[in-house]
Amino acid sequence: MRALLFFVTIFYVNEYVQAVRQIPDDILRGNHTNNWAVLVDTSRFWFNYRHVANVLSIYRSVKRLGIPDSQIILMVADDMACNPRNPRPATVFNHRKQHINVYGDDVEVDYRGYEVTVENFVRLLTGRLFPGTPRSKQLLTDEGSNILVYLTGHGGDGFLKFQDSEEVTSQELADALEQMWQKRRYHEIFFMIDTCQAASMYEKFYSPNILAVASSLVGEDSLSHHVDPAIGVYIIDRYTFHALHFLERVSPDSMKTMGEFLAVCPKQECISTVGVRRDLFPRDPHKVPITDFFGSLRPVELGINYLNVSIALPLTENTIRPVKQEEKYHYAQQFPTHLFQTRAT
Amino acid sequence: MVYSKNDWNKLLKMVCFILVPFWILNVGQCLVQKDRFDEELLLKPLPSGHVYAYFQFTTVWDAPSGPQMFQHCHLFPRALGEVAGRHNVQELHVTLTEGLWRYEYWGFPVSDAAPGAELWTWFRNDTKDVDNIWKKLTGALSGLLCASLNFIGTPNSLSPEYSFRPTGVVKNSNLNSSFVRYATLPREIVCTENLTPWKKLLPCDSKKGFASLLNAGHIHNTNYHSLGLHIRPVCKDAKCTEVSIELRQTVSLVYDMMILGFQNQDWSLRKLFGLGLSGPCPLATSSFIYVDVTSNETGTPYQLQPEPTEVITSIRGGYESKFKVYNIQKMSFTHMLNIVATYSTPKVYAVNVPPVLYASRYIVGYGQERGGIVTKIHNNHWKHLDIIYLENIPWFLPIYLHTLRVVAGGKEITPILKKYVPGKERSRPYSLEVLLRIPARSVTEIYIEFDYVFLKWQEYPPDANHGFYIGSAIISAYLPVGKNYMGLPQAGPTIYSSFNASREGFLLQLRTESLIITLPTPDFSMPYNVICLACTVVALAFGPLHNITTKRLCMKDGNSCNGLLIRLKSMLFKGRKPQAQAH
Amino acid sequence: MDSLVFMEYALAGLIRFWLLCSDYRQTVADRVEVSTPLNSWKRVTEGAFLYNEGINPYDGDLFHETPLGLFVFKYMIQRLSQWLGVIFIICDLLTAHLLYRTACIYMKELIEKQTLEKSSYAKDTQGLLLRNEDLKLSPIYVASAYLFNPYIILNCVGQTTTVFTNLCLAATYLMMVKGQQLPCCFALAMATLQALYPAMLVVPASLYIAKKNTCGMSDRCSQIYSPWATCGLFACVLFFLLYFSSQLSGSWTFLHSTYGFILNVPDLRPNIGLFWYFFTEMFEHFRPLFICAFQINAAFLYLVPLTLRLHEEPMLLATSLTALTAIFKSYPCLGDVGFYLALLPMWKHLFNYMQQGFVVSCFFIITSVLGPIVWHLWIYSRSANANFYFGVTLAFATAQIFLVTDILFAYIKREFSLHFGLQREVNGKAAKLVLE
Repeated sequence: MRALLFFVTIFYVNEYVQAVRQIPDDILRGNHTNNWAVLVDTSRFWFNYRHVANVLSIYRSVKRLGIPDSQIILMVADDMACNPRNPRPATVFNHRKQHINVYGDDVEVDYRGYEVTVENFVRLLTGRLFPGTPRSKQLLTDEGSNILVYLTGHGGDGFLKFQDSEEVTSQELADALEQMWQKRRYHEIFFMIDTCQAASMYEKFYSPNILAVASSLVGEDSLSHHVDPAIGVYIIDRYTFHALHFLERVSPDSMKTMGEFLAVCPKQECISTVGVRRDLFPRDPHKVPITDFFGSLRPVELGINYLNVSIALPLTENTIRPVKQEEKYHYAQQFPTHLFQTRAT
Repeated sequence: MVYSKNDWNKLLKMVCFILVPFWILNVGQCLVQKDRFDEELLLKPLPSGHVYAYFQFTTVWDAPSGPQMFQHCHLFPRALGEVAGRHNVQELHVTLTEGLWRYEYWGFPVSDAAPGAELWTWFRNDTKDVDNIWKKLTGALSGLLCASLNFIGTPNSLSPEYSFRPTGVVKNSNLNSSFVRYATLPREIVCTENLTPWKKLLPCDSKKGFASLLNAGHIHNTNYHSLGLHIRPVCKDAKCTEVSIELRQTVSLVYDMMILGFQNQDWSLRKLFGLGLSGPCPLATSSFIYVDVTSNETGTPYQLQPEPTEVITSIRGGYESKFKVYNIQKMSFTHMLNIVATYSTPKVYAVNVPPVLYASRYIVGYGQERGGIVTKIHNNHWKHLDIIYLENIPWFLPIYLHTLRVVAGGKEITPILKKYVPGKERSRPYSLEVLLRIPARSVTEIYIEFDYVFLKWQEYPPDANHGFYIGSAIISAYLPVGKNYMGLPQAGPTIYSSFNASREGFLLQLRTESLIITLPTPDFSMPYNVICLACTVVALAFGPLHNITTKRLCMKDGNSCNGLLIRLKSMLFKGRKPQAQAH
Repeated sequence: MDSLVFMEYALAGLIRFWLLCSDYRQTVADRVEVSTPLNSWKRVTEGAFLYNEGINPYDGDLFHETPLGLFVFKYMIQRLSQWLGVIFIICDLLTAHLLYRTACIYMKELIEKQTLEKSSYAKDTQGLLLRNEDLKLSPIYVASAYLFNPYIILNCVGQTTTVFTNLCLAATYLMMVKGQQLPCCFALAMATLQALYPAMLVVPASLYIAKKNTCGMSDRCSQIYSPWATCGLFACVLFFLLYFSSQLSGSWTFLHSTYGFILNVPDLRPNIGLFWYFFTEMFEHFRPLFICAFQINAAFLYLVPLTLRLHEEPMLLATSLTALTAIFKSYPCLGDVGFYLALLPMWKHLFNYMQQGFVVSCFFIITSVLGPIVWHLWIYSRSANANFYFGVTLAFATAQIFLVTDILFAYIKREFSLHFGLQREVNGKAAKLVLE
């Protein structure tokens, strides 16, 4: 009798848990309404030039395909373009023949230098930023946002190194994404990671609607592509090089699919095996257009009615100044000459 | 869903049709407010062979006061206005600089900036909790300019008493220095990501006018480049009962023609900026290019093409300068304007005549235990000069005020006034302001000792062995002569207003080098080891003392007192015992 | 014997004077082993200078002396600047003399006590007893151990304020053995004002004073000289001094710079103690826990157990507490170590029973020589790192711990032997001494 009661309880608890984990229908069926990108380079120092070139290449592609700067969060841990070691200031190239300056003329880096830390990254993803953080540093996504998350740097089995002094573990990352899911901060996420043993970073994910691709499996190293003899460092990694090669042929109205993108670097090119995780993603990648993640949807609502718009944030008391009075202003004395006259001999 | 091009066109037309009435209303309101925008470019070949290019974009706006102040903006950038308005700012100066201005060889710039990021602000007199609002302001500016200005807070901000007086208009003369904050981040880099949002604040963006010359690849290939944003209140008219807001956006560049790879000394707009000028900004009231040809008579001569619109001779503070002016709005643009300077004779490097005042700073001492900072101020004037010396020392470098020594020409001089705010670890930097009268034609050395601090292991940056930066020292002086002086007068915002603008004195603010020191580092991989070892040593005392205090000495029977080892031995060597006994 | 002592004073004074006048003075004063943030004379000069400029020295965090100390040192710097070195030498010699007198009185007391208890001792313990020569020899050894101890010489030449703290402590010891309650409390309060840790010595002091002033049948007398009364008097004097300091400086903010500094350990400058590297590498959220743990270890942990064990022998209790404080306090220096080393010759009758003398002295010599070398390698040559110096300080602390525990073990073994004899036999069989 008691055993039966026990099993019945377990059954109902399981049902309840399943119900809670069920994705609401409207989200499952509905499409995304806007696109965001979070592009992170975690390496410091000149010899990690290729990681900066990686992330700037993806930034360039994503911007070219339509995602505006206000919806891209770019985190670059060190400055390569204006580095004194760079013989061509304000440029970052991803090929030794200098075809494309991936740094561009209108780049906007949101987190740079010492700001790229594990804490800032997790706070950005989960939205728990300090009050007063400017808009360009916030990830203001909602339940209709498709987010592209790209990480590059040095990694290992189960962790990713930030600036050679701290690391984020795969469990922390999985928990951060789960928080995002609980808070309805994304519709679908495409997670790309180009580091050594990159697949270990997505192994712990347990939130739905995430499609993940990694440049190497656990136990393998991701390799860099080629050296630029003019500056003496490797300037791009293999996986990102081939990914960029693919993306350069994509236009904003392209019909290429994510399935093609996932197969972009076969083993003979990349030497490491590209890992893909698709069990958390309900759709078939071969039916998902690439612009779902790399392009941008601009939602427009047509209307012919007048709208009453009120100011969202009331101005604080400090900005209310008294009405003009007839007081005379004057220029302040710039240099206190009187102090020298009274006291000097 | 993907929209086709036709859909977009239809949509655009519909939107324009619907919203045109709104536009007309808004423009009507904007026409009520008066604002003007001027763009100027100053080009000056320096005696050392460098070329100094200074851009200034000035917006003056007779803004209505009140809460709607920054909601209807025309030429004034709304993003910056909202930041300034929300944080109760009276005056704001932000600069992002790479490189050091070499006063000895280049003279004085129009406006100087410290290496890295420098930010100083005067808040209005009714501001409560200045520290809190300062932190919010730096956070907002960091988002606006894509710089890490959010690292500025009370642990690295000062309130200088004498050095940073408001440059704009004030109501009463009693200035309360608790409303000013000054901070500097010497490590901050300036690159295209700072230029992009900076350009977006201009009325014509980077599409028309002088801002189209600011190409990232060219302007960062310089010895010195600096972006600046300066907001201040100015008098609206001669009566000065109302104020206008003035915004000056400046770019200072110093090109080394040798690095640019051209074999000769000739310079032109195309060589400096990559392209010529295609026209003025349509929203600008005036667009001028000034070329300072004062050195044309004294140094190697050059010819300018095309011919300038006019030539102005400016006498300022007893010194004469000559400028060739191009009024861009009066010129016709059938093709791109390229101002070219050609030298007919090879360059002659003459003996350098340094300006009346310049300074340098360096660290003395060896090892990572203690050291000293020495600032050398050179006075080349025939008369004594009054200067204010401001040191901004971060909290991790405690200085000893009793070791401060000022020596001029071998003799020790006493400062006229000293203001010292001692720093507190992790909450306040050391601020030292010294008012000095330095003798004529002398070199004054200011020396102060400091200790190196041992920080906690989490307080070191990721590249701890790079070192920690100490911000520049600021030397303010009131020069009686205008030799080499190019600063703007207080009343007028434009370069044009500085011509023939003689005053009794000219305010000069020099900035010295920023210094870098390497603090001694602990071993970052050792936290667990250290904790274990130190606790072991503590336990070494605990064990015996515990035994002494809780146990008594007693005599125990031999066998039962044997330890484990002895018992094992006796078991193993049972056989040997009879042999021993036989002996 | 007196002439010998005077010659020692003269010689020690000469050595100190010669070193003070030489070029080595600044080097010694700058060494981290000698001057810590708490006792550095450079910081005292800075504090006095700031005070003269009208800036509150407690505004910054360089100055850590009490206002009373500020007042006295400011006067010294302003009026007696040429005689500063001589003042330090005189204080040091005075401390040595106070310790000499303490040792004289204490040895007399020990021999008296021995004569009283002789009947209860075992038969074969003649060799363990104190002899009359010890009455004269031990005090001379104590004075020499203070005067010619290299740690004390460096402490004096470095012009640290530990010289004054040692003087107050020596005065406390002397008044304690003499049984004079009010001077003892006053000296102890002065020492506590400078460095917080001597407050623990109120326990052995009150025990000693109660024992010394056996009042016979007078109730009132025994009330005045009871331990509680001494503690209360000490607390009153200390509070009065603190109140006087607060009136001098105008507010109570000096407490944060003095006692707050000692207890919170914000400055992580290396010294010969254990705190600095431990808290450099400590995780931030565990810091308060470990601060409390270390401070309790330094101050209170051994107070009650040792008191219960050694209440018959308050002088040994006071010495062990002084030694344990010097090892475990937050900013120890060589002056603290040298002070308790100078007290040890009072128990030279225990040296027979010490088992680790050789090891301890080797440790002391090696770490004293190796410390400055690895410091130079870390800070100046930049070829070693912090772990080297940390290892040397750990070894130094271990040596001191072995020394203290060895002395205590020797004491209890001697006590046991005195009462039960030297034979180690039970029922005719060989036996061992164990602690159970």
